[in-house]
Amino acid sequence: MFKIIITFIFLFYAIPVHAIDGAELLKQVDRNLNPESYESYRKLINIEPDGSKKEYTLFTVKRGVDKVAFLFLAPASEKGRSSLRLGDNMWLYIPNVGKPIRTTSLQSIVGGVFNNADILQLDYAAEYNVEQTEERGDEYLLHLKAKTKTVAYDRVKMWVDKNKRVPTKIECLTEALMLIKTLYFKEIKDFGGGIVRPSVIETDSPLYKGYKSVMILAKIKKREFKDEVFTLTFMPNLESLR
Amino acid sequence: MSDIGRQTIQKAALTFSVVYALCSVFCLPSSAFPEEYTFDLSEIEKKPYHIGGYAEFRPVLFGLDKDTSLYKLIFYNRDEDATLEEYNATLQLEGSLEKGITRLFVRTNTDYKKSYLGEDQETTIYEGFLSLKPSSSLTIDMGKKMLKWGKGYAWNPVAFVDRPKNPDDPELSLEGFIVAAADYIKSLEGPLKTISITPVLIPVYKDINDTFGEVDKINLAGKLYLLFYDTDMDVILLTGGSKTARYGVDFSRNITTNFEIHGEFAVIEDYRKRFIDSDGNLFEKEFDAKSYLAGIRFLTERETTYILEYYRNGTGFTTDEMRDYFSFINTAYDSYLASGSDMLLKKGLKITEGNYGRINPAREYLYLRISQKEPLDILYFTPSITGISNIADQSFSLSPELLYTGITNLELRMKASLITGERLSEYGEKQNDYRVEIRARYYF
Repeated sequence: MFKIIITFIFLFYAIPVHAIDGAELLKQVDRNLNPESYESYRKLINIEPDGSKKEYTLFTVKRGVDKVAFLFLAPASEKGRSSLRLGDNMWLYIPNVGKPIRTTSLQSIVGGVFNNADILQLDYAAEYNVEQTEERGDEYLLHLKAKTKTVAYDRVKMWVDKNKRVPTKIECLTEALMLIKTLYFKEIKDFGGGIVRPSVIETDSPLYKGYKSVMILAKIKKREFKDEVFTLTFMPNLESLR
Repeated sequence: MSDIGRQTIQKAALTFSVVYALCSVFCLPSSAFPEEYTFDLSEIEKKPYHIGGYAEFRPVLFGLDKDTSLYKLIFYNRDEDATLEEYNATLQLEGSLEKGITRLFVRTNTDYKKSYLGEDQETTIYEGFLSLKPSSSLTIDMGKKMLKWGKGYAWNPVAFVDRPKNPDDPELSLEGFIVAAADYIKSLEGPLKTISITPVLIPVYKDINDTFGEVDKINLAGKLYLLFYDTDMDVILLTGGSKTARYGVDFSRNITTNFEIHGEFAVIEDYRKRFIDSDGNLFEKEFDAKSYLAGIRFLTERETTYILEYYRNGTGFTTDEMRDYFSFINTAYDSYLASGSDMLLKKGLKITEGNYGRINPAREYLYLRISQKEPLDILYFTPSITGISNIADQSFSLSPELLYTGITNLELRMKASLITGERLSEYGEKQNDYRVEIRARYYF
């Protein structure tokens, strides 16, 4: 009898939730994290095993599903650098170099655990299909699979708060299900304009043992931009949008 | 054990306990405490002005090769040791002032050098321009500006309105030219995602851009940029009389997320090449010079970046022409030793300046840079090695480099260059066998 109960509980716990439309849930998660077009101010902190830190401040703009750009505001050594993503295309503009150079989603402009794809994150629904949805107590677990080979992580596991419909944890995996990094979403904050979302994202990685990176969101608001903002020619002028 | 011995042990034990306890409290890694992150909104407040820049100290040690042509040409009337020291300091300042659609930007560069020639200091305005931005589609710039056209990393044959960059340090900022330029951008739906047009006027008069070319001319340059089927493409031209007409194209495209290809092709019409034979006879030849560059950038899963470029310099000298030049310098030096007259060496210096003395004066080069990001989990540490080879004469320079950026706003770089080649080859005749430099740069 005990075995039957345990089996029943296990099946109840792990069975895919057919009542929940995973794709729709993922879209809700995207919209709860950001409006489709917005501006935001973020700080990235890389923390080394000895506790020493390096901080970067970024101004980010996004339009639609596949256009996002950011500008470094600090530290002085990075100020004026900007990065642009148009779908799978990514460029880095360094004021001294004077022209945008193509870069890749796996590289990291800032060093540490966050790579370019984490910083220039598009909507999850734009890059991933939901393969499976599970109900886990107060959370849903979404199993995501990259739509194309060009996406930074082939597979993603996303734990979503049932009530708030925002992620609590994301695991980024390779095609062979090797864990690349884990993102922890913390400290839900009301940013105004109906945006209530985690304000701190911590990440660690088995590839960087002892290292940790943190992204803090200070300000985010809905804002429309023209398409011309998301072009190579405009990259040196991102500051004018602030 | 005596009482004194016991007391000493007790005192030592007590001291150790106190130190251990203090360490336990104060020396724990910060991750042992609950994390508290702060983000003060004053940090992101936009100011109408900005002042910044960097200060740099760069001592260099040169290992001289006294048998080479260029050593004889430069040091013929000096007796130097086997090594030379040079101390460089740079202060680069930049400032901007912004109001409404208007922005004023200035970047100055002050170089101080202490070398075998004594002390020297020079301040140059690298850039200084007024920018008007009536909409996100249009920008108008007037003043001194660097344009940096082209997709190549080490060389840019299509950069018709820029000073040549140094492939040994291609990311250094350069002095611009005084221009009036505009950027018009249009975004579209479909395979052609972006079009941008950049017309540029370059006036050349006495004291205005007079190093650009023939004076009393107004030159027109232009760039048409397209993002077409995920490929960056530029069509570039320059005309106007200060230089002969030149036009070119470039492109850049990601084949996969970690593999990029790029290329440039440029034609300089009626290029005049001046060259010298081994007897010192000067010649001039006029032709349409065609230059091109093909390159890749490849990132491995272990974050090793490879940049490989092939450059065919249509304005460059053939291996025989380079040999003739070096032979002439050797003859001129022998003549100086025999007669004490440096007349021929001065002729050699004259033909070297801006000609054989260009950064890469020959016909065919290969560039390979391999850099490894954060090896052994050492954050902010990037070792790399760069090779530049003159393919035709098989001479080359090889430069290992260590870069550390772990301290906020401080960049530390150590770089060595080994320069080698057969006699009468380009790198074999450089005045140095090796070079070692340390660069400490602080941004503010």
